[in-house]
Amino acid sequence: MADSASYDRVMNTLGKKRHRVDKFPCINSVSVATVDFMKSYDAYWPAAHKDPVKMAKLASSAHRKCGLDNVSLPFCMTVEAEVFGAPVNFFEDSVKWPSVKKFIAKEVSDLHFPKDLPSAGRIPVITKAIEILKKEFDGIVPVNAYIVPPFTSLSSYLVETMDFLKWLIRSPERAEEFLTNTWRTYSEIAQIYSEAGADTITFHEMGASTDNISPRQFDTFVRPYLAKIIGEVNCPTILNVCGSANLIVENMIRCGSDAVALGERSPIKEAREIAENSKQGYTIIGNVSSYEVLHKGPTTRIQEEVKKTIDAGVSIVAPGCDFWLETPTEHITAFVEAVHQQEL
Amino acid sequence: MDDDKNTKVFEKLTQAVITGDCAMAEEGANDVLNKGIPPYDAVINGLAEGMKVVGEKYEKKEYFLPEMLLSADAMYAGLNILTPHIKSEDKQKGKVILGVVEGDIHDIGKNIVKTMLTVAGYEVIDLGKDVPVAEFIEKAKSEGAKVIAMSTLMTPTLMSMKAVEEKLKDERLKGKVKTIIGGSAVSETWRANIGSDAFGADAMEAVDKIKALVSSITAAAEALKQEEKKTTDEK
Repeated sequence: MADSASYDRVMNTLGKKRHRVDKFPCINSVSVATVDFMKSYDAYWPAAHKDPVKMAKLASSAHRKCGLDNVSLPFCMTVEAEVFGAPVNFFEDSVKWPSVKKFIAKEVSDLHFPKDLPSAGRIPVITKAIEILKKEFDGIVPVNAYIVPPFTSLSSYLVETMDFLKWLIRSPERAEEFLTNTWRTYSEIAQIYSEAGADTITFHEMGASTDNISPRQFDTFVRPYLAKIIGEVNCPTILNVCGSANLIVENMIRCGSDAVALGERSPIKEAREIAENSKQGYTIIGNVSSYEVLHKGPTTRIQEEVKKTIDAGVSIVAPGCDFWLETPTEHITAFVEAVHQQEL
Repeated sequence: MDDDKNTKVFEKLTQAVITGDCAMAEEGANDVLNKGIPPYDAVINGLAEGMKVVGEKYEKKEYFLPEMLLSADAMYAGLNILTPHIKSEDKQKGKVILGVVEGDIHDIGKNIVKTMLTVAGYEVIDLGKDVPVAEFIEKAKSEGAKVIAMSTLMTPTLMSMKAVEEKLKDERLKGKVKTIIGGSAVSETWRANIGSDAFGADAMEAVDKIKALVSSITAAAEALKQEEKKTTDEK
């Protein structure tokens, strides 16, 4: 199938030059992994975290089986933390999200800065998987790679979260020291993915929602570093914050990404109004609940929610966050079909 | 006169918690001891009052997690001084097994709940983070606790909560030991889905719900006792 419909739909909505598209795009800019897909393509975790062929299969399964308009990888929040030396538990022989075994850093000097970043941790696996996907889908389906950017990666996976968050008030210089010394590495990871062929890069900044930090803290500790990284990446970018984010929609837009992706805790109608005030026609991606709607269904509910989400003002329909692992494949098919059936 | 003096000290403790000032909280706690004010009253009317304000500010999006954590620190600074002086009858409302479920090492919410429960007079057995499914149940058995409170920040680890519920059923403890779940990944729907006994949307609500769970257990035990008595009397 050499149909470029999916690619055009997404890239024409995301890229600098906007063109009319044939249908509403339906993507997932974070993890597309489900147990059903792992079964279908023999791409189980944890193997699919470490084997590029399996990773590519799992990343593309929602497109192959359900017609999702992108392929997306990896399926893990600890890739970047591992690069900096965090020990990761992959839960051998079971399908569980990898997690860091402990927080390794109290000082910047506790972090490990790899001499050869392209071959550090799982970066080569992800790079290879991007190449495999690019070879098959170039110009047909956009390849999305996501990274966990400095704030979320440091505060949730490298430094004891309580300490890091308290520093924001009591010793901001300690938080800033970590951010200043590491952002470049995160930027380089994004560039490695983009050079390997990723069509879009998503920044999975789930730790920076207003469930955790204030808009002012976002502007001090999140936005400056994201803005620098986004400025260095040569492909369209998406900034994803899946917690409550309506208080920071404008701050997010000012980071400079081509789109923001929101979760179900950020009502789209309000987000759209805020966006229109700061950047007319800005691309908003979201926000059908991965658990409440896509996992639980039924199909009729999925159709209703898709319609509501589009009416509220999204430019691209996506789940609010990672696919829930136990999501039935037929629900994802119904989701994509419902989006494609909506009138533009 | 006495009331006035007490109120001033309570206000100092409340302010210390609201502003996250550990030194001020310690000073206030020492004032309580020096002036012979009942420490339990100081905890309830001073420290807990401050935490209530902090909870409201969090609700209103005036405070966020960093502010909340500093307030919790100040509260602990005061508690550490006052708790040893609190008479045991004020403390013993019940035992609660508390922990962050397996696969998650994010324990902010859990620690805030621990603070609030301690202040409210519960004995908290804190299992820490990344707690294996079996450990919750083993501890509840060995400690004779009737409430298990579980937290997770992450959606991927929600399944660990379900595993605890299932194991409770397997061991025929469901109903005898009550469970409450919380954390930013958790919802009322998830509670209903896995059959947990309660969901606490935030630390304040968690404490209220745990109070309700404990009194329902006590009431059930009382009723059972009455029932037994009645049966014996009838004989």
